[in-house]
Formats: sequence, structure tokens, C-alpha cells
Amino acid sequence: MSGALLPWLGELLVTVLLLAGSFFIVVGSWGLLRLPTFMQRLHGPTKATTLGVGGILIASMLFFLFTEGRLSVHELLITLFLFLTAPVSAYMLAKAHLHRARLDEEVPPTGRPVGWATFDPAASDPDPDRSLRPDRAP
Amino acid sequence: MNLALIALLPFLGAVLPPLLIRSGRNVCALATGAVTALALALLLVQAPAVFRGEVVRASFPWLPQAGLEASFFLDGFGFFFAFLILAIGLLIVTYARFYLSREDPMGRFYAFLLLFQGAMVGIVLSDNVLLLVIFWELTSLSSFLLIGYWRHLPEGRQGARMALVVTGAGGLALLAGLLLLAQVAGSYELTTILTRAEAVKGSELYLPILLLVLAGAFTKSAQFPFHFWLPHAMAAPTPVSAYLHSATMVKAGLFLMGRLWPVLSGTEAWFLIVAGTGLLTMLIAAWIAIFKDDLKALLAFSTVSHLGLVTMLLGLGTGTAALAAVFHVLNHASFKAALFMTAGIVDHEAHTRDARRLGGLLHLMPITGTLAILASLSMAGIPPLNGFLSKELMLEEALHTEWGGTGRLFPILAVLAATCSVAYSFRYVTHVFLGPVRDDYPHRPHDPPAGMWLPVALLVAAVVLIGILAEPVAGPLVRLAAEAVTAGAAPEATLKLWHGVTPALVASGVALFAGLVLLAAFGPIVRLREALWRPEAKRMFEATVEAVATGARAVSEAIHDERLQRMVAWTLAAILAVGLVTGWGGIGTGERPGLPVAPLGLLLWAGAIAAALAVALFHHQRLLALIVTSVVGLIVSLTFVWFSAPDLALTQLSVEIVTTVLLLLALNYLPRESPRESTPARRGRDVAIAAVAGLGVTGLLWAILTSDFAIPTISTYHLAESKPGGGGTNVVNVILVDFRGYDTLGEIIVLGIAALAIFAVLDSTFRGTAVQRLRTWSHEPEAADRHPMMLVVATRIMLPLALMVGIYIFFRGHNQPGGGFIAGLVVGVALIVQYMASGWAWARARTRIDYHALIGFGVFVATATGVGSWLFDRPFLTSNYGYFHVPLLGEVELATAMLFDLGVFSTVVGVVMLVLANMARVAARAEPQTGVPTAMDSVPEPRLADERITTTAPVPVPERTRQEA
Repeated sequence: MSGALLPWLGELLVTVLLLAGSFFIVVGSWGLLRLPTFMQRLHGPTKATTLGVGGILIASMLFFLFTEGRLSVHELLITLFLFLTAPVSAYMLAKAHLHRARLDEEVPPTGRPVGWATFDPAASDPDPDRSLRPDRAP
Repeated sequence: MNLALIALLPFLGAVLPPLLIRSGRNVCALATGAVTALALALLLVQAPAVFRGEVVRASFPWLPQAGLEASFFLDGFGFFFAFLILAIGLLIVTYARFYLSREDPMGRFYAFLLLFQGAMVGIVLSDNVLLLVIFWELTSLSSFLLIGYWRHLPEGRQGARMALVVTGAGGLALLAGLLLLAQVAGSYELTTILTRAEAVKGSELYLPILLLVLAGAFTKSAQFPFHFWLPHAMAAPTPVSAYLHSATMVKAGLFLMGRLWPVLSGTEAWFLIVAGTGLLTMLIAAWIAIFKDDLKALLAFSTVSHLGLVTMLLGLGTGTAALAAVFHVLNHASFKAALFMTAGIVDHEAHTRDARRLGGLLHLMPITGTLAILASLSMAGIPPLNGFLSKELMLEEALHTEWGGTGRLFPILAVLAATCSVAYSFRYVTHVFLGPVRDDYPHRPHDPPAGMWLPVALLVAAVVLIGILAEPVAGPLVRLAAEAVTAGAAPEATLKLWHGVTPALVASGVALFAGLVLLAAFGPIVRLREALWRPEAKRMFEATVEAVATGARAVSEAIHDERLQRMVAWTLAAILAVGLVTGWGGIGTGERPGLPVAPLGLLLWAGAIAAALAVALFHHQRLLALIVTSVVGLIVSLTFVWFSAPDLALTQLSVEIVTTVLLLLALNYLPRESPRESTPARRGRDVAIAAVAGLGVTGLLWAILTSDFAIPTISTYHLAESKPGGGGTNVVNVILVDFRGYDTLGEIIVLGIAALAIFAVLDSTFRGTAVQRLRTWSHEPEAADRHPMMLVVATRIMLPLALMVGIYIFFRGHNQPGGGFIAGLVVGVALIVQYMASGWAWARARTRIDYHALIGFGVFVATATGVGSWLFDRPFLTSNYGYFHVPLLGEVELATAMLFDLGVFSTVVGVVMLVLANMARVAARAEPQTGVPTAMDSVPEPRLADERITTTAPVPVPERTRQEA
């Protein structure tokens, strides 16, 4: 370390990032608890995993960089897996919810010529030309 | 060595016929004959020594701890029997070559025949009594296989089962008897036991030993009341009947009684049981034989009768009677095997063996007819044939025997039996071969090819030769064998035709005359017999078996019925009862100081309790219950992490994932909710039992966790020896693959078997009514995009990463947390995810590894690693390791345990994937074929050898993707 300022700045940076990350995690958890519908509740934890855990991971990288002077790459790997798994699981949860809710809850229109992919075979058709034909809309 | 080889050769040779049958039936028969001839030659090499009076011995340790040695000995008696078995075996092999039809699988027949031959020779050469029992049971098994050789015939299958039940049960009794005998005599070696006659006869265990040994001998040799299986064994092909069920196997009981004669005979009990049973059997079976229209049944009952005769002679307990018994074994084997073969020829040529449809065959098949008549006359005891000689000896002995307080009863019954014997022998001659030629045979008979009648001719030549020149031809051999039976007390009787007009000759004449009269009055006697009630053995046997089966079923249904709840309740209640009776002494707080409670531990503990309670509350909703259960699993995994057991944590985690996925698949086929079936009272009972059992377990755990170990544990040894002994610093892994490798090997084998069983059970859902139900299965509404692109892409990116992690975990396992088991699970999870995301058809079409083969490969590699240490003269599964320099990777440690771990790895992957693939296959079978292809790619043609996969309707490939491809 070249001076006292850098560690101090580093400490500040790490603290800010940790606090920001924790804040988002709290917000995400609060949202999960308080939001009224399932689809809205789903937003809470996804924010928490991306922004909240992301902040803490960056804080961790900086901490090891400043204190031990080495670049820690574990965090990058964790980020990669989080970015891979969090959207997929949120997506699957939403899909499951749509199927469960289909009978008693109106699903909002998609605003596209085709319906929701999980209900409308046309939307999931690998042939985009066909799936965009307006006569296939629900 | 040679001695063991005589018994082992037929076993080794048994692989030849099934292989050589491709080169033709002649080669197959020749190979079988060569094996038998070689064994016979090896036996004859020993002949000079045996005739000098020596006892040849050979012994190898097998399981010395259990008293089991592979020890053989050859004396006169063993030589006599082994010679009969192998010599007649050679003739039977020749005969069977021409007897079996083109459709019969000859390779299988000869293989079974050789197995039998080896087992039978093994019995007569065994020195160790346990070895003898092993061979004894092997003859029962091979006899079962041979009787049921024509599997398509129900008589064959029933007869085979009956023979196996009766002789197998006898074999168990024999085992018990011989174990007691060995204990009393103080040795498992027959040669020693035979010298301890005084100790055995004086022992208070003498009677149990006698009864148990005789139970074995009587069942094998079809003595009354166990005689009924033999006639039903006649469903076997005729060479088998001639060989096993007249010449050799049924004589094993006689052999045993002869073998143990010096130790067991000569007492009142022996005389009453053995001679009495023999006499009764001789009389009853001879009487029944007269009325049997089926030629083989007639011969079968006559065989039972003659076995009774020999049993009776052995029971008399005198040296001369023993000589007569040995002599009659030889005579009976020669004429009865010949007669069976002629019956087979008649059946083969005339297409019937019903005496009522035959007659006059002597004119149509003169050679067979002449041979059959000669053999029958010997059976009737007509001079100058060999049957006459032994019958004279028998009558002579019977005349000197007192029974039931009088000297009359025994001879009268013996003469009566001889009368019946004359009657059925002459019936076989007159009703089949004599009389006018008929024109209503099912098939016009003529003499068979020489290969079929030559063996008969050789046996009949022996019958005549022994009859005329008894002393020079058979004298030395019979005397040698008889001396071995009587343990040196040389019997004085000479074998010759003319003894002068003795009482025996008169009795013989009476029997001949009475027998002919009986046959003359055949018609009226048959009608009289038909009118009377007769017990029918087969129905009685089947009723008994049925009753036993019903009883057993009732007992097992009472103990384990199909309700899991009841079984668990009873088990727990029983354990609790035992606990209550023995007291709660063990439960209490031990002396070990406690650790401070960490907040994290408290949290885990509370979580586990909450999850367990939730399972109990929500168990009717199966999906929810499964998810909550997996929460418990995850908490356990976290607990392992907390207690610094990374291996266990990794294992628990991957097991949890695999289990949950497999259970989800299984739940797919079940109702979503369990109906509420039990009454409140039962629920109350269950809650009470569960609560008490749970508290009991808690108490036990508390007691164990708070106490110190009473003795030092093995873990210190494991920790100390892991590196120097097993070459790895990861003690858990070294224990798995090295210290307790044997356990692991057993476990992966069990795992493989379980997976195959699941495969077999699920496979049946693709046939019969199950597949109908699958087709009409009502579907939940399903997503239109069953394989969403997002999931597909994510899982495919993950696949190589996950596989790499798996391989990494595998390689580091020996020194750091990991190992084959965890790696297998990780790879399994990586593959499962592909099935989940892209569907069964997609994943299966891209899998080139057959999971069955993978399981087999794993078990093979693990076993081969273990066997490999034998090459270096080390015990099974000894591991070795070394350090090698590998380019790029540097210094690398390689251990043979790693190879073993590879076996574990392959098995685990194979098991997980086989189970998953088959569960998923059921779902794929039930899926509506919507024709929606998987996102991202074209569908390749299925390239599996597995035909069943193609039964899934191929998914149509859209034009555009096909062009792209």
C-alpha cells in the first residue's frame, strides 16, 4: 500500500458497497413479504440476488484487493452462476404461476400478435415468420 | 491332484457342449464323450493302487475355519461307484446323441449331464462330509434341470419341482445329520469318522444322527414313503431316466448308507429302520409296478423296488448282505439302464410307450427285442443272468433274518416281492415284445440306428457275462467294494451260479411260478385293483405343498401385510416393548462436557424441527411434503458444513438433489394428494407410538452424545494410517475406497441391482394393460413451450462446466474433499438437468452410453482392481500408490484406489441415469405428441441400438431447421 489514504478510501468503498448490497437485500425481502400479487412479489428476490448480492461480491473483491493485494476471482464465478440461475428460476416460477392462476385470474394481454408463450404454441414456434402471423393470435 | 480332477473335469467340460453345438451334434456329443472318457481314464490310472488295497487321498484347504476342505479319497467302494458312473455315463452320452431329436437343444442337455456327472463323482470321492453335502445338493439341482429339460411339458416342470423339493429337503436333513456326526466323531473327514464307530454308536446323539442321515438317503434313493417323486421324474428324456434315475443318482442314498455302514450299522435301530423300510419299499413298489401301463413308469417302480432291495440288504448289517448289496447295485445298474434304453427305443420308434398299445415288437425290431428280453429276464432273476445271482444272495440272507419276533415274516415278504418282480418283468416281455404283430401302432417300429442299440448291447453283454462268469469278471471289484463297506471284515460268500439245491433256490422257484400265475391272471387282478381305493401320491404331494404355501402366506401376511403404516407401527411397538422391558438404564446424561450453543446451530436446529413438523402437517399434499423433506436434507447438509465435514456435506447435497428430482418424477404418476384413510383412533395410536419412539431415540442420542467412548474408536487408526497406508489425506475417501473397500464394492453392486430392478419394474409398464392406462392418462394442462429456450440455453452452457467440476472432484478426492461417489452424483445431476430442460427424447437421442453397460463397467472395474492385487500376492483390494511426473500437470499421485473409485463413479452415474431415464421414459410415453421440437436445434435420428426408443413417435423436423442442419 502506498499510503494511508488508499486503505481508508478502500475501507469506505467496501463499506458503502456492503451497505448498498445489504439495503437491496432488505428491500427485496421486504418486497417479498409485502407486495400483493405473486408476480409483483417475484420482483423482490430477483432484485436482491442481482443488486444486493452483486454489491456484496464487489465489496468482497475490493476487500481482498486492498488488504492482501490479490485479485480474487471466486466472486466473478459466483456472479456468473447467479446471473445464470436467478433469471431462469424466476422465469420458471412465473411460468408455474401462470399455469396455476390461469383459471381464476385474468392474464393481461401481451400486446403482441401472439399470446403468452407458455399458453400459445405459436409463440414458442421456432419459426418466427409463422409465429408472427396475426391470424395465430389468441 | 488327479483325484480332484476326476470330479472337476466334468464341471470344467460342461462349458464345451453349449459352445461346440455350433459345430454340429456329432462334435458336441464327441466332446462330451471325450470329457467322460478322460475322467474315466484318470480313474483307471488309480485302479492298481486301489486294488492293492491302498486309499488314495488328495486334499486342498477351502474354508478350513468352517471345517470345509476340498479333500477327496478313493477306496474300493468309491472306485466301484465312480467306475459305474463314468462307464455308464459314456454309454448314455452315445445313446443320447441318437435319442435327442433335432429340435432338442443338445448343448444344454450335455452340459447338464456333465454337471450331474461331476457332482455324482464328487459325492463318491468326497472325504470331507461338507463337501459331500455340496455335491449331494448339486446332484439334486442337476437332476432338477434334467427332469425339466423339456420345459414346454408341464409334467416335466412338475416332476422336476417335486424331485427338487423332496431330494433338496432330504439334503438339508443330511447336512444336519452329517454335522452332528462330525461333531460326535470329532472330524469332518470321512476317513477319520469311519474309524470312530464306537464313539458314534455309544453317543446319545446316535439316533438323531441316524434319522437325519437316513432322511437324506431315503429321499434320494426313493424309499417309502418318499418314493413318489421317482416315477414323476420319468418325464425326463429317457437317457436321463436311465442314467440318473436308475443307474446312478438314486443310488447315492445307497452309497451313503454303504459309506457310513461301519459307523452306523449293526444296531437295533439301524436294522429296524433300514431293513424294514427297504423290505416295505421293495414289496409295495414291485406290486405297483405290475400295473403300470407306461413302460417307463413300470421301470420306475421296479427301480424303487430294487433300491428297496439293496437298502434292505444294507440294513441287515452282515458282511455277506453288504456284499450282496454291492453286487446288486452293479447288476441293477447294468440291466435297468439297458431296460430304460430299450423303453426309450420303443418310444422313439413306435411313438408310444403304453404297454396296452404294444405287443409283437420282437418280430419288428429283433435286436432291441432280444436285448430287452435278456435284460428283463435278469431283472426277474432267471439263471444264468446276473440278476439271478444277486437275488439268490438276497433270498439266502432273508431266510436267515428274524423280524417281528419270528423267522418267517421276513422271508415271506421277500419272496412276495420277488414274485411281483417276476410278474412285472415278464409283463414287460410278453405285453411289449411277444405276441402277434399288431397293425395299430402309432408309428410302425423297426430297429434303431446302431448308436442307440450298441450301448444297450454292451450292458446286456455285461449282464450275461457277469451271470455266467461272476467270480472272474465281477468278483474282484465287488469284493473290493464290499470290503471297503464293511471296513475289512471280509465276507465269505462266493459268487457262483450253482450252490446246490438250497432253500434260496427253492424260494426262487416258488417266486417264479407264483409270478407267472400272477401274470396269467392279470386281467381280473387289474379289475380288482381298479375297484379298490389307492392313494395318489402326486395329488397328496400337491395338496401338502399347497397347504404349506397357504400357511406360509397366512403367516407372512399376518406379520407383514401390505400396509406400510401397520408394519412400521408393529416394528416400532416391538422395539419400544423391548426397550421398556430391558429398562431405560442406558439413557441418561453422560460425563462428557458440553459445548457452547452457537446461534447458527440453534437456527439450524429450529429449522430442522420446523421442517419435520411441517412434513407431518402437510404430508397429504405430496408435492409440498417432498419440498419440505428436501429442506430437512439441506439443513443436514449445512450441519455437516458447520461440523467441518465437507465430504459428507457435498454428498448429502448431491444426493438430496438427485433424490428430489427422482421423487418428483415418481410423484408425477401419483395422485397429488394422499386421501385421508385412517380413523382418528388409528391416528391417535400412530401419534402416540411416533412420539414415544421419537423421545426414545432422542434419549439414546443424548446419552451417546454426552458420553465418552467406552473403548478407543477406530477413527484414530484411520487418521493415522490414511496417508501411510492408503496414500491419501482425505480420510473419508480412503476409508471408502481402501480401508472399507469391500463394503463399498458390495454397496455399488447392491446399487446396480436396485437400478436394474427399477428398470425391470418400469419396463413392464410398456406392455400389457399398463401401457393402455398410460395412453389414457389424463393430462394436466401443460405449457405450450415445454422446453423453454431460456432454460435450454442455460443448462447447455452449464453442462461442460458441471462435467468439469465432476471430474475435478473425482481427481482431488483422494486428498481433498471429493471422490468417486460425489463426482458420480455431480455428473448425474449435470445430465439430469439436460433431461429436465430439453426433454427425454432429445437427451436420450444424444446419449451414446448404455447405462446398463456403464453399471456393469463400474462393478467390473472395481472388482478387477481388487482382483488385481492378487497378481502381486496381496489380499483382495490391497491398494498401492505412487507419484508420477505428468507433463503440464506436474507431480501427480496415482493410486490403485483411484481405479476403484472410477468403478464407484461409473456405477453411480449409471444408476442415477438409468433410473432417471426410465422414469422419464414413462412420462415421454404418456406425453401427447404435439410435434413441438426442442428449442435451438434440429432433432437427429435416434441412433441407439435400443429398439424401444424408436417406438416414440418421431418429432417432425421443420423445413428450415433441416436446411440449416
